Amino acid sequence: MAMRVGQNLTRCGDAADRPQQEFADETFEESDMNAQSARLRNLALVSLAALSAAAMTLHAGVASDAGEGSRAAEKVLRIPMTTDGPKSLDPVRGSTTYENRCCSQIYDTLVQYKYLKRPYELEPSLLEEMPAISADGLVWHFKLKQGVYFQDDPCFPDGKGREVVASDVFYSWKRVADPKYQFKSFWLLEDTIVGFDEFKLAQEKAATFDYSAPVEGMRLINDCEFELTLKRPVQQFMWRLAQFQLSIVPREAIEKYGDRFNRHPVGTGPFILRSEDDWKIGTSLTLHRNPTYREEFYPDEWMPEDEAFGFHKPAGTRLPIVDRIEVTFFVESQPMWLKFEAGELDYTTVPETAYESAFARRSRNLRPAYANRGITAHKLPLLDFIFRGFNMEDPLLGGYTEEKKALRKAICLALDWEEMNEAYYNGTALVYDGMIPPGLDGYPADGRLPNAWRGPDLERAREYLARAGYPDGEGLPTIDYYTSNGATSERMAALTARQLAKVNIKINPRLVDFSTLIEAVDNKKAPFFSFAWGSDYPDAENNLALFYGPNEAPKPNHFNYKNAEFDALYEKIRTMPPGPERTAIYEKMRDMVLEDCPYAGSMARIRHYLVHPWLLNYKPSETFFTWMKYLDVDDSKRPGASR
Amino acid sequence: MWSFILRRLLYNVPVYLGILLLVMGLLRVRNPVYAYLGKNADEKQIAQLEESFGLNDPFIVQYGRFLWKGLRLDFGESWKYQGTTVREKLLASIPPSMSITVPALILTSVISITVGLMSSFYRGRWIDRLLVIAAVLGMSISFLVYIIFGQFFGAFLPKQMGLEWWPLEIGGSFDLWFSMSSFSVFGLRVPYPDINAMTWVKFCLLPVLISVIVSMGYDTRFYRAVMVEECNRDYIITARAKGATKRKIMFVHMLKNAMIPIITRIMTTLPFLITGSILLEMYFNIPGMGRTLITAITDMDYPMIQGFTAVIALLYILSIILTDVLYALVDPRVRLS
Repeated sequence: MAMRVGQNLTRCGDAADRPQQEFADETFEESDMNAQSARLRNLALVSLAALSAAAMTLHAGVASDAGEGSRAAEKVLRIPMTTDGPKSLDPVRGSTTYENRCCSQIYDTLVQYKYLKRPYELEPSLLEEMPAISADGLVWHFKLKQGVYFQDDPCFPDGKGREVVASDVFYSWKRVADPKYQFKSFWLLEDTIVGFDEFKLAQEKAATFDYSAPVEGMRLINDCEFELTLKRPVQQFMWRLAQFQLSIVPREAIEKYGDRFNRHPVGTGPFILRSEDDWKIGTSLTLHRNPTYREEFYPDEWMPEDEAFGFHKPAGTRLPIVDRIEVTFFVESQPMWLKFEAGELDYTTVPETAYESAFARRSRNLRPAYANRGITAHKLPLLDFIFRGFNMEDPLLGGYTEEKKALRKAICLALDWEEMNEAYYNGTALVYDGMIPPGLDGYPADGRLPNAWRGPDLERAREYLARAGYPDGEGLPTIDYYTSNGATSERMAALTARQLAKVNIKINPRLVDFSTLIEAVDNKKAPFFSFAWGSDYPDAENNLALFYGPNEAPKPNHFNYKNAEFDALYEKIRTMPPGPERTAIYEKMRDMVLEDCPYAGSMARIRHYLVHPWLLNYKPSETFFTWMKYLDVDDSKRPGASR
Repeated sequence: MWSFILRRLLYNVPVYLGILLLVMGLLRVRNPVYAYLGKNADEKQIAQLEESFGLNDPFIVQYGRFLWKGLRLDFGESWKYQGTTVREKLLASIPPSMSITVPALILTSVISITVGLMSSFYRGRWIDRLLVIAAVLGMSISFLVYIIFGQFFGAFLPKQMGLEWWPLEIGGSFDLWFSMSSFSVFGLRVPYPDINAMTWVKFCLLPVLISVIVSMGYDTRFYRAVMVEECNRDYIITARAKGATKRKIMFVHMLKNAMIPIITRIMTTLPFLITGSILLEMYFNIPGMGRTLITAITDMDYPMIQGFTAVIALLYILSIILTDVLYALVDPRVRLS
């Protein structure tokens, strides 16, 4: 059975095409009405940039006069989210990065990412220690930490949260198989635990979902120990245990609140939602320190480069550090940017419209107006795979003959990703070869590969076009190119058309809404399409799965790429632990795909963060979101703390 | 009059049903399930979700079900915000919208009518020219520019200048400026709104001012044109000849006779009091109806789109009927028949 990946950040057209739902706060896309209004807005914002700088200079003088008396007694973290917020605070219903950000504060998973460690590593969260895995990799033994309590809530007797036990884990995980939750998170456990898929099928046929029905591969040993038996050794299963959708929830709360649990979360995490009113849907979310949070401390393991930022200093501090988190949702980036500049937000991502006011055009360094205020800039390469895909079953573009490959290679060689990067990402994105994003095993040094088909190389493109049987583009029909609609997408499609026209390849851009785009790709009707993928976890396996034959559309292999040797290698790497041998296979698989050329690309965005000097310990990451408990604020550095 | 209202209501029933039919039909041109489940859904999941959303039923069944439930103001549950009904979202988003639009409409109407009156009365003179230029300038600038500059100069800059007392907010976490409290009289709970005027000033005043400035250009020109026409009527010349004061001519004679176009203009904007201003709500983080509807469209949350459309269409139809009734009330020459 095919494995499915990429539910979390990844439901996306193109990074620049679907910013609101997929890469929402990151892309430099005009998310509003139309191109004209976007241009107007840009014009207005650019003219405000100069005024901002002047205002900030003025502000610097005024800020120094800010009184001490206005400091807040509580430590409050004020953070933005460029979206209208999560749709649900029930982890099993969540799928977007926004739900991840919020749920990760309220709930715990069995394991979590080490905050400061790069490349990413996991450590126990609700577990006493990392699971013990049998020699054959099939049996995983888990031991829960003792003394971990659910937050106090009326769903418990006397309103006192009870201790987490092993059966809570099974209950929480079985929820992903409950049709009531539309199987949004089922992919995390699918085809993994012995008997779990069968359990789902049996429950689908039953009149009511029976959470007490046994699953062959889930064995309860006692209140704090349990065992899982996997169908096959799957290394990546450990990463999935850190996915927020597999957070542990109490049965009592689900039964008491029903669907209302979406808005009335009960977890074991460092923060709690005190009342439903603390989540003003679409505008803000206020989380308070969980008074019964387990004993957890700031890590004493960090990277050498962290010392420059002082991330190592709080080692051993009890978590969470702040008392309250105020999350404000912004549908438009303009008010978020102004609020950051006014010191009302502790950090921000840099919107496109503000990029040039924050960074020098040539050096790309933070401008003195910001640096002088102690603001620091952080660059975070995202685990993106932005590409143009070919349907390998398409009569014109698909196929594995040399001629068919040559046609796809000609298209790849004619595309200029750097121009795309300059035009739509301020030149800040990272163009790379292969499908493995930066930072992961298998990513090529400097992002370049000799066997890649990176353009623009128009001479070679013409040569390959001739090899494909279309010398100078003669006889080549117009290719339907599917991309999601929107002002930026339209302009990007026009740029793609112009680049390909240089070698006489004509495309017909089909600008469709996102649903239609997915439908066309799922139904194998889109010969050439624009999509993007954000890795669920930092392992290249997640990206290689996109080319695994049994994952063909409507599953994530949207290219419908089939290669028996690749598939066999994929099955092998799933069971292999990290190491040079596995990395070598990753590279081999990457090169096999490059040779068959089922996509053109690739590109990853780099997110720019600006952080005020009073926000401490903030090491940005978008791979996991449990980091808010490590953050601290130094109110003495806030200008006018009363605001 | 009641028979007129009843007749107009009946005439508009097919129109209303047609609007709902059109909206539901248009929404079903595309299958939202693909976008809802994302790129990874398999065929089985797609089929299951279509069934759970009721999209597998024949269109006419879906339409009938929506109408039947709509009669009880039950528009179902949001697909995106599970556990939240459309009615809840509707009721929650009306007060924030109206917090902006009602004061904006009142202010705009009062100022524009007054300015229009003055401009028409002094037409051709410097004051008229100045007002016309201001109105044209106001109309020529995009709403978006007003918002962006408004947020900068109206909220950001004063605080950067150290005016800590400055109350206006850039946007962000929106707090409603009233909540319902109650007191007890002989054991009966009497509800009353607990008003916090400063909260309104903080979150609503700036968008209201922007809305007023934007609308004033259009409204002033319109009211001026109406008043200029009235200025040339015989009764105004007669009133002047009889020595009536300027104030009396303007506010008693002219205004009364210009009420029909004024009412038309105001009444057509009434439904928008509730639907709000989408741009203002987006930029000022106001969880009003406009923003909620736009978000629902982006999210392809069909129950929300349908529920909101049903309410907006109803309001529009009611406002048109109300306009006709008001014509008869302000002008005895108009007969409701």
